[in-house]
Amino acid sequence: MPIPEVYELECDRCIPERYKHMVLSNREQPVIPACNIKTVPGDMTERGCAFAGARGVVGGPIGDCIQIIHSPSGCAWYQWGTRRNLSTIYNWSGPGKLCNDSHNRRRAITTDLKEEDVVFGGVKKLKNACLEAWRLTPGAGGILIYTTCTSGLIGDDCHAVAREVEKEIGKPVFVIEAPGFCGVSQSKGHHEFNVQFYKQMAEYREKHPEVCLREEDKTPYDMNIIGEFNMDWDLALIKPLFEKLGCRIVTVFTGGERMDNLLKMPDAKLNVLHCQRSCTYISDLIKQGYEVPYVRASFFGIEQTAKALRDVAKFFKSEEMMDRAEQIIDKETKAITPALNFYREKLAGKKVGLYVGGPRVWHWPKVMKELGMEVVFGMCTFAHEDDYEKINARAEDGLFLVDAPNEFEIEECLERFKPDLFLTGLKEKYLARKFGVPTVNSHSYEKGPYAMFRGLINFARDIYQGIYAPVWKFTRDEDFTR
Amino acid sequence: MERIKLNGRLTVEDINSLPEIPVEGINYEQIYIEKEPLCPEYVPPDETIISSAKRSVVIDPCRLCMPFGAMWASVGVHKCISFVQGAQGCATYPRYTFCRVFREPVSIATASFHEDTAVFGGQKNLVEGIRNLICRYQPEIISIVTVCSSEIIGDDMQGYLDEAKGKLEEEFGPEILDRVKFVITNTPSFAGSHVEGYNRAAKSFLQAFARKRNPSNKVNIIPGMITPGDIREIKHILRLMDIEGIILFDISGTLDCPLRLPQSMPYYPKGGTKLPEIADMANSLATFALSQDEGGAGAAYLEKRFEIPAIVGPLPLGIYSTDRLVKKLAEVTGKPIPEELKDERGILLDAMADTFHYTMMRRVAICGDPDIVAAATRFASELGMEPAVILSGTQSKVFEQEVRAVAEEYNFEPTIFNGGDMFEWEDFIKREKIDLILGNSKATNISKEAGIPLVRIGFPIYDRVGYQRRANVGYRGGEYLLDLMVNTILDSKFPDDRVHQ
Repeated sequence: MPIPEVYELECDRCIPERYKHMVLSNREQPVIPACNIKTVPGDMTERGCAFAGARGVVGGPIGDCIQIIHSPSGCAWYQWGTRRNLSTIYNWSGPGKLCNDSHNRRRAITTDLKEEDVVFGGVKKLKNACLEAWRLTPGAGGILIYTTCTSGLIGDDCHAVAREVEKEIGKPVFVIEAPGFCGVSQSKGHHEFNVQFYKQMAEYREKHPEVCLREEDKTPYDMNIIGEFNMDWDLALIKPLFEKLGCRIVTVFTGGERMDNLLKMPDAKLNVLHCQRSCTYISDLIKQGYEVPYVRASFFGIEQTAKALRDVAKFFKSEEMMDRAEQIIDKETKAITPALNFYREKLAGKKVGLYVGGPRVWHWPKVMKELGMEVVFGMCTFAHEDDYEKINARAEDGLFLVDAPNEFEIEECLERFKPDLFLTGLKEKYLARKFGVPTVNSHSYEKGPYAMFRGLINFARDIYQGIYAPVWKFTRDEDFTR
Repeated sequence: MERIKLNGRLTVEDINSLPEIPVEGINYEQIYIEKEPLCPEYVPPDETIISSAKRSVVIDPCRLCMPFGAMWASVGVHKCISFVQGAQGCATYPRYTFCRVFREPVSIATASFHEDTAVFGGQKNLVEGIRNLICRYQPEIISIVTVCSSEIIGDDMQGYLDEAKGKLEEEFGPEILDRVKFVITNTPSFAGSHVEGYNRAAKSFLQAFARKRNPSNKVNIIPGMITPGDIREIKHILRLMDIEGIILFDISGTLDCPLRLPQSMPYYPKGGTKLPEIADMANSLATFALSQDEGGAGAAYLEKRFEIPAIVGPLPLGIYSTDRLVKKLAEVTGKPIPEELKDERGILLDAMADTFHYTMMRRVAICGDPDIVAAATRFASELGMEPAVILSGTQSKVFEQEVRAVAEEYNFEPTIFNGGDMFEWEDFIKREKIDLILGNSKATNISKEAGIPLVRIGFPIYDRVGYQRRANVGYRGGEYLLDLMVNTILDSKFPDDRVHQ
């Protein structure tokens, strides 16, 4: 269904194909914009590359591996300690002292490809780099090698290197090939990481059955959390509630996790899938390959978190667990109600624009409703059709949605819809502020964790601080704006 | 409400069992997280491969990619937008970096390479992309920047651009080409770092736009990758000396901008070097390239092509280097050194005279880009400090010569890593006695782990605010940097009863 003309953004008059990316949501008959297709060149897209999706988002949180970027040093530099995906695993900084930052964020390791490598190939360099990094990082759980545009185009056989290195070090060495130009957005990198990690994990388990969870160590309530990357310690609020429910968490894919645990992923009874954009792939593969089912879950807000707990209890068909779920929901809701009431009063009727990668645009409309706020437009960088189906289902009818928005469209939406707050990322927040609109960093958070019941208060507080910061009233003084 | 305290923080269990969450919430920094070591025991690194020269792997590179430098240059030009001929990450990662460091929006367009481009080349992407960029943003200059992928594929940039121009004329009429100008900078990252990217952009912009007309009394300044605050300080010196200058890549009006409503759309910062100013650089008295490795190529081009004398480096940080700039400016323009500037110099000298008991014989570690590291090495030496380990993330002949010259003049023997990585620099710091670190935000972890205070200089600084607004160059910049260094030393090295007089 084409977008009504009054909603067509002025800035796109000369690129009319952008209008296919805009729709108004509808719960009865979901309206899906053109999505997950190639970006229009030169439109000032906010999208990143497949390498960013693979290394930065899905692989980056893994806690104990050496992650080698097979590229000129730039690509390695850019992913070095940027996302706040935290972990408990720290390398030694010296005798008796651990590093200042978790292992996954502490260093950038690269083959630093040069002109001669581009001409003659970088395979030998990669092998040396892996073995040297291994010697310099005692205790690492394995090695992940990432290719980029340069190594992808010169066609280095990284898998051959990985097999040789694996033999020498006796730990898994996996290759993730997601050069920047592959796919239409960072979403392709998530996908490639899932598929390639799964394949190499399955092969490794076959060759080394001792890495699997032993029968005697299994419990009836073993579950994994899939697609959770531990931004600002979300896991400190997520894991305990599932443990209180009576589950045992075998592994988290991938927030702060160890390789040893990741290899046991197929041995659990259930996968609880949070980020359904970046990690449905591996959940499906595990379901097909190992017959481990999964349930989809949202860990944001009261209603959705309650549903996640109830769904897991229901899956295990345990009366006791179902009772416990209700007790947890009751206790958690009580614990946050006083603080929540404060914010509800302050935020009632405030308008919010939502622009995140994909899933959070459907994770959050209900959360905004719980805070009493109105979502006035939604945008996704790399959502696919299923994401838009969920947004249609969870948002109020008639929500203006823009797929793969660009800078100009963001500006125009801020001016047109005049939100009181814009939930967005680092690149866009400085733009929004120049238009007098406060923001909350919705990728790495301002001061998280934001997940589950207790995290909701942090989220509400950061939204409140955004809207009520005194600075905004000065920006509108008419003597200075005329 | 009872809270259980552990190391002043709440354990994960505490947080999840609090009967009531306070209105202010419970943040990440209040959560006590038990760190687990990667390896049960500390194992010292294998000495045979600590030196970056003895290994293939690069750990913690102190350099970005070449296109980034060209994008930095382009951001400093009025209504100029970079068009990155590569995958989306090649624009998005640099944008992320600019935003993170300067806390400002930055517009960079991308050709959005996908798989088909890797096979067929980026011709369609450039032609279509340039058209879309122009019809929506009406930029005055489009700075086309190549990257690893387009260089490996072998995109014929000039050919593609000619085709794009033809299409533009067809669609928008011939006058469109009067309104927008183009410049191409080739920046394959496997051939150099961001430093070289800026250097190449200086040359390509001048090649594209500098035009000989009547000689002027102006001087050209190519600053290199210094902050908006630094550039404002250079302008201040020129103003005091009554010299009209043209600053190429003037980011002081594009990467430190006011919040003023209403804002016009699309967002363009007010500042940046204007096209006629760049054109006029062919007519100036001289070109001062303040950073030899970042812009020297531009000065050399003007000298060769238009016989404009090139005065290259050093970055005017500290007494000697600022003196040199001021003396050369006076010499070239015939203007006297004004009283006010002599006073500013005197104030810096006064500050040095007041503080040498704190600074003398302090061993410092320095890292960053070659020009600022060489300049900081000299300034630290002027304060009586002893630069002990000096890393330039980008390899540079000039850097090494300059640092050796300073070492000889001030009689110390530094360990120099020219083009090395931060891993070997860090190892040295953790083994040797060092009193102070001068470096960018990437040195923060090292500083905390080694227990050695860090004074932030250079690029990138993203974990503090305001650094982009402050100058380190010029006499007043030197004063600010000196204060920072001395106060840091006072904080870390002196008991409170020793700092009261």
